[in-house]
Amino acid sequence: MKYSDVIRFCRFLRAKGFSAGVTESIASVESVGALAAVDPEVLRWALRATLSSSKEEWDSFNRLFDAFWNEASREQTRSQGKPKTAPQGFWVMTGEPGSDGRPSEREAATIAGASNCARLKKVDFSGIPQSDQPALDQLAQRLLLQMSWRVSRRRKVAELRGRVDLRRTIRGNISRGGEPVKLRYKDMRLQQARVVILLDVSGSMSIYSMFLLRFAHALHRHFKRADTFVFSTRLVNIGGMLRTRQLAEAMRALTARPADWSGGTRIGGSLQEFCARHARLLSRDTAFIILSDGWDTGDPEVLAAELRSIKDRVRKVIWLNPLLGLQDYKPLTRGMAAALPHVDVFAPAHSLESLLELEKHLGW
Amino acid sequence: MGRRWASRFAALLEAPTNPEDVRDIDAVVRGFEASGYALDRALATAVYLLLRLGKPLLIEGHAGVGKTEVAKVLAAFLDAELIRLQCYEGLDINSAVYEWNYQKQLLAIKIHEKSGEEEIFSDGFLLERPLLRAIRAENASPVLLIDEIDRADEAFEAFLLELLSDFQISIPELGTMRALHRPHVVLTSNRTRELSDALKRRCLYHWIDYPDFEKEMQIVRLRVRGVDEKLGGQVVGFVQQVRNLSLSKPPGVAETLDCMQSLLVLGKTRLDLEAAEATLGCIAKSVDDSAKIQAEGIARILSRVAR
Repeated sequence: MKYSDVIRFCRFLRAKGFSAGVTESIASVESVGALAAVDPEVLRWALRATLSSSKEEWDSFNRLFDAFWNEASREQTRSQGKPKTAPQGFWVMTGEPGSDGRPSEREAATIAGASNCARLKKVDFSGIPQSDQPALDQLAQRLLLQMSWRVSRRRKVAELRGRVDLRRTIRGNISRGGEPVKLRYKDMRLQQARVVILLDVSGSMSIYSMFLLRFAHALHRHFKRADTFVFSTRLVNIGGMLRTRQLAEAMRALTARPADWSGGTRIGGSLQEFCARHARLLSRDTAFIILSDGWDTGDPEVLAAELRSIKDRVRKVIWLNPLLGLQDYKPLTRGMAAALPHVDVFAPAHSLESLLELEKHLGW
Repeated sequence: MGRRWASRFAALLEAPTNPEDVRDIDAVVRGFEASGYALDRALATAVYLLLRLGKPLLIEGHAGVGKTEVAKVLAAFLDAELIRLQCYEGLDINSAVYEWNYQKQLLAIKIHEKSGEEEIFSDGFLLERPLLRAIRAENASPVLLIDEIDRADEAFEAFLLELLSDFQISIPELGTMRALHRPHVVLTSNRTRELSDALKRRCLYHWIDYPDFEKEMQIVRLRVRGVDEKLGGQVVGFVQQVRNLSLSKPPGVAETLDCMQSLLVLGKTRLDLEAAEATLGCIAKSVDDSAKIQAEGIARILSRVAR
């Protein structure tokens, strides 16, 4: 077992989206060094323990491990020109120094393409007049920044004084002979709420989706712990994309991304999927925001049940409905009617102004 | 005399309690099994690396699959002290690392009117909390279990990160304390929130899934003494079926063992409809879950197990 192969494997994993950095490369070389006898399975486990750092990475590790070492062994045999005793996995890697252990592009493509099978549509983002966009962006940015400031200031005043801080009280009063003349207080350091946003991008919402996506992006800038998902018939996590990119770039990437943009809606099913896969985002300090018009082709029972279970776990469920801005809109659609009893805040979301109203619900 | 020494020496050789003596993965598997923990070789590899490389091990998995148990058994295996820090929201340095004994300080100031700072900020006034205790262990490396780290807040996680990289704690009034014996650290998480990348990257990682039938039977055999094979098989099969029902709190291995023990106490020799109904509370931990199992039909689930 050569260490350079381990390093190459680390680089391969990094290219496949593992977070393993140089530290992990070093650690994995150490791990391999610590193994007394090199048994292929033990090597797999050791590298898995060292290099993966989450359930997702853990789950995909075996597949990538096989892909890498098998491909490596194939290339080895090819370059040596003797395909007779096809040796298993990495055993081959101890040989010839010249061979490159990276899987070919073809292999990489099969790995990445495995999940791309749903019926996909690309959305047209040109709904909003191009000329208005910069002005709107600027305004939104400024106002949303103000809003986040106001939210935090209000919190400061409300919590005024916490518990007596015995440690600092004693320290500060030593010069007074230990008599607690002046009390010191502990500041309650509250952390910002967590925000989870579910954005409906189904057909009926398409004129609003663009606008609301901007809103989600703005929230990501001000909340350290924010996660955004888009859904229509299924759920797609776009939090990472919104966090790391400029808005324009994120929009471009999103249109290219597989999701059933502007298709039908299954709100209940999407919530179910959310609960099954991302329930860890729900906690007592979470504000759960749904941006949807409530047109649901799924079973309203499912929607109600899922929403209730979410409500039990978060601080607040906020449903923003763009249609609520219409003069004589009544939330009578089956989905909306089923959801309403489990919603803490039901508010419009058709204009920037209405979105800014959210401020009063995001404080404590 | 010589004989006695020889036998003692042999006993010492048999029980590899020193981490350096743990030569290979099989030794870990055997040691854990002796303490009643059925360990698969993948986890054994992780534990072996934990001992060898001195890296913390982060274990994630569903509730009740024996994450915490790993640390407990590791301590028993190494014959080391187990120091446990249970995390919760709002856990701070004062309850995790150290605290000054304020009452004692106040009294001391009263008694010796002119007592200076040095005296009341000395060892005698220090209350050790788990992390400091782990750092100051005198004889051998303890096993430090940091349980449910996902419940602590991010600020604490950042502090922990520092501790896990240097194994030292500084107390402003006393100075920096460095670990004499690096503790073996096991962290567990239920994934109620994502841990920071920095922390995850510092640790070895292991995901414990629900065991398959054979593995769970092995656990039952190890943990419940004098269990009937048939009854054990029925209970394990039943619980495994229930796990497929997408309950809000699927039963873990702990629930299997609970159910098993309850049946033994009730004097049941096989899991029939009546027995299953009586012990449903061991498996379903909420009204909704219980209703879901009832709706599926206990008899139906049992018949599937029998097949």
